[in-house]
Amino acid sequence: MFARIILESVRRNPRRKLLASIVLVLATAVAAATLTVALDEGNRLAREFESFGANIEVRPLADTVPLEIGGLDTRPVRRGAYLEEADLSRLKEIFWRNNIEGFAPFLPVPVTIEGRAGPIDTTLLGTWHRHEVALEGGNAFVTGVEATDPWWRVQGRWFADRAGECVVGQRLAERLGLGPGSLPRRVVLRSGSRQVPVQITGIVSTGGSEDDALTGPLELAQELGNLPGKYRSAVVTAWTKPEDAFGREDPKQMTPAEYDRWYCSPYAASIAEQVQQALPGSSARVVRRVEESEGQVLGRVSALFWLITLGALAAAVLGIGAMAASSAIERRSEVALMKALGANSGLLAWFFLAEQLAIALGGGAAGFGLGTLLARELGRLVFGTASTAQPILLPVVLAVAAAVVTAGSLGPLGRMVRLDPAPVLRGE
Amino acid sequence: MFWRILGRELKASRTRLGLALLVVASGAAVVSAAANLEFNIDGKLARTFRVFGANVVVTPSGPETRDPQAPRRKESGQATKVRRLGHPEDSLGFRGSMAPGDRPESEAVMPAAAWQAIAARHDPRIAGAAPYLYVAAHLDRVQTEVIVAGTDFARARPMNSWWKITGRWPAGGRGRDRAAEALVGSDVARILGLGPGGRFRVTCGGKTDTLVASGVLTAGGPEDNQIFVDLGTAQQLAGLPNEISLVQLSVAGFSGNIRAEMRALGTALPSVRVEPIPEFTQAEAALAAKIQLLLEATVGLILALTALGVLASMAALASDRRHDVGVMKAIGGATRRIVRLFLAEVGMLAAAGSLAGCALGFPLSNWISERAFGSGTAVQWEVVPLVAALMFGAALGGALPLRLLGRVRPAVILRGEGWNSQ
Repeated sequence: MFARIILESVRRNPRRKLLASIVLVLATAVAAATLTVALDEGNRLAREFESFGANIEVRPLADTVPLEIGGLDTRPVRRGAYLEEADLSRLKEIFWRNNIEGFAPFLPVPVTIEGRAGPIDTTLLGTWHRHEVALEGGNAFVTGVEATDPWWRVQGRWFADRAGECVVGQRLAERLGLGPGSLPRRVVLRSGSRQVPVQITGIVSTGGSEDDALTGPLELAQELGNLPGKYRSAVVTAWTKPEDAFGREDPKQMTPAEYDRWYCSPYAASIAEQVQQALPGSSARVVRRVEESEGQVLGRVSALFWLITLGALAAAVLGIGAMAASSAIERRSEVALMKALGANSGLLAWFFLAEQLAIALGGGAAGFGLGTLLARELGRLVFGTASTAQPILLPVVLAVAAAVVTAGSLGPLGRMVRLDPAPVLRGE
Repeated sequence: MFWRILGRELKASRTRLGLALLVVASGAAVVSAAANLEFNIDGKLARTFRVFGANVVVTPSGPETRDPQAPRRKESGQATKVRRLGHPEDSLGFRGSMAPGDRPESEAVMPAAAWQAIAARHDPRIAGAAPYLYVAAHLDRVQTEVIVAGTDFARARPMNSWWKITGRWPAGGRGRDRAAEALVGSDVARILGLGPGGRFRVTCGGKTDTLVASGVLTAGGPEDNQIFVDLGTAQQLAGLPNEISLVQLSVAGFSGNIRAEMRALGTALPSVRVEPIPEFTQAEAALAAKIQLLLEATVGLILALTALGVLASMAALASDRRHDVGVMKAIGGATRRIVRLFLAEVGMLAAAGSLAGCALGFPLSNWISERAFGSGTAVQWEVVPLVAALMFGAALGGALPLRLLGRVRPAVILRGEGWNSQ
């Protein structure tokens, strides 16, 4: 009987119920979509920070002790410490291996360019452009400066990683009288008694010291510097969690349980520690300029989105509440009739509430679906990949919708219960 | 007559109208707050991104264009004080060892007048600027060379917000025994074995100075290998009383603003080279574009869904008016007039809702901006007509079905048949 009354009520007045449901669907869709975006957006924006380049630097441990002095090191290249290229594949074996987005080793070797302009002393910076790193299990990971330093711009084309090719820095190209039109150009590089002919395939501009140097395959630099299998420093781009209060604590003073938690959180510092453990003889440190600033910017942008989401939620709640209240007011004459027929007040109230809740749950579920769909498309539009649905939001959204509908109906319901049927039925 | 009927009607259904007003006003409030934030976001992001510090660097233009009157360094190799950063043989000068903004040609110096000219500019786009003079000095205790960077601490501090200082920033000036305060990079501090308060001597050419570490600096970059002192102290040590190596600028804005600023500086100071630090300018611009797109999409979503919600509420309100329409028609009301009456009601609702919504929305956006960015946001008045247009459109759109009601036969409705059927 109870269910039949509700069903009949919906069937007999579909338009009115439909409009009430649409309001509910739209309001919950706003709530679900903004919440889905807000829950996901922090992580996705954090990934966008990769465009700032590497956030962890690796140096030989032995090198950092005798003081590297901001570019004033005059030691000959063969002194100082080196790291083993073969170890680099271990970076994809650490606990947070999936957070390692890219890495690139560097080996600078002083060389002389023999050419028409006469011998010019410069540095050959050996690195990877797109290098295939063989991983355990037969997989390969392609990485290099393309991943770690995305702002490097090349006119012409990049060098191939296993060829006698290199790119020339912008300012060095000016000195050599090379323009984009005169590429590729063959030159001979000399280092000590070794000579290697190479092809210059592009002009690179980085805004850094690479503008005054040649950049080429790591193998080429190893050959010229007679340092087989070695590199001098490396950069790692890792997807990290911005530091919070816990992340800023000193791991050396943590209890073992805290240390485990810290180690298993993708803070830049804990990933750096794992990198350091994976590469024997290395010292890895966090580039605070990128890392610390990322935390600040992300914090602010997340706060902005959460607050806007809260605003949208508040508006949705008010809309749902108002809708519930006004549709309860609608039912005055029906209520009066039912009372006149002898329905008791409790049953009446329960009947109307059940009807409202049915609309709330149905509309809420539909709204959640619509909101999730919209959030997906929004993710695709902004980040290129669809946002993941947050099923956890469904019960939350439904509970909120039900609570708001109940709260909105309570006032009119109270009046309904006290309603005197006679004047209403007489049309007064 | 028209207004009297309208007035009576509003009074009679004030509860329901109040609820409709609540829907319109809350929708208008969130839409106006979101739109107001969206219009202001450019400037807020540009300011926020200045936590990344310098994004433009001013260096002396090449030696060939240098003013021949400028004091030159001594030619004797032994007295070379300001040497090449990123020496060809320096393996660590590359990728990672130099802060973005340090330049290989920093051996070249320029008159400090260039810095004064930049510092004197009242340009809202320049969020920060700091001069640097790099000097290669000798640490007597450990027999090592180290870079001593002279700067203006008050200027450098806000531009390097990521520096972690153990101890405190130098206060400037000299202590009792005339030891200059310095910020010592963590690697330098380690090999010197000193903490905050420790003293050490640096030598450059024939000059010696005693420094006291007021703080130890961790930056995860080349700064860890440098010693920062007051600009005057570094100039004295280098014997270059009026020279600097470079100026780092933090320019608020993205590619267009930065290019404009670089042009303006290049015109004002013809003898310098103004270059962006692409690592930061490009990454900032890319990230800002993403954040803006995300915000625009979210605001658009809220806007569209809220407008549709208001539309549906209005449609519900309109369908409640069916009974009134029937009565009015039965007593001879013209359909046009009845529709106009309802449209006036809806219009007033939209107007009142938009105004109340904006009145709520602007403080809301200001509060959000305050919480998120630490500074309030200006009211963008163009938001008001936008919100009003949106609410009017939604309200009138919702009232459209009423035009069909004009065709309704009063008898059907008055008999109560139109109430639950159709």
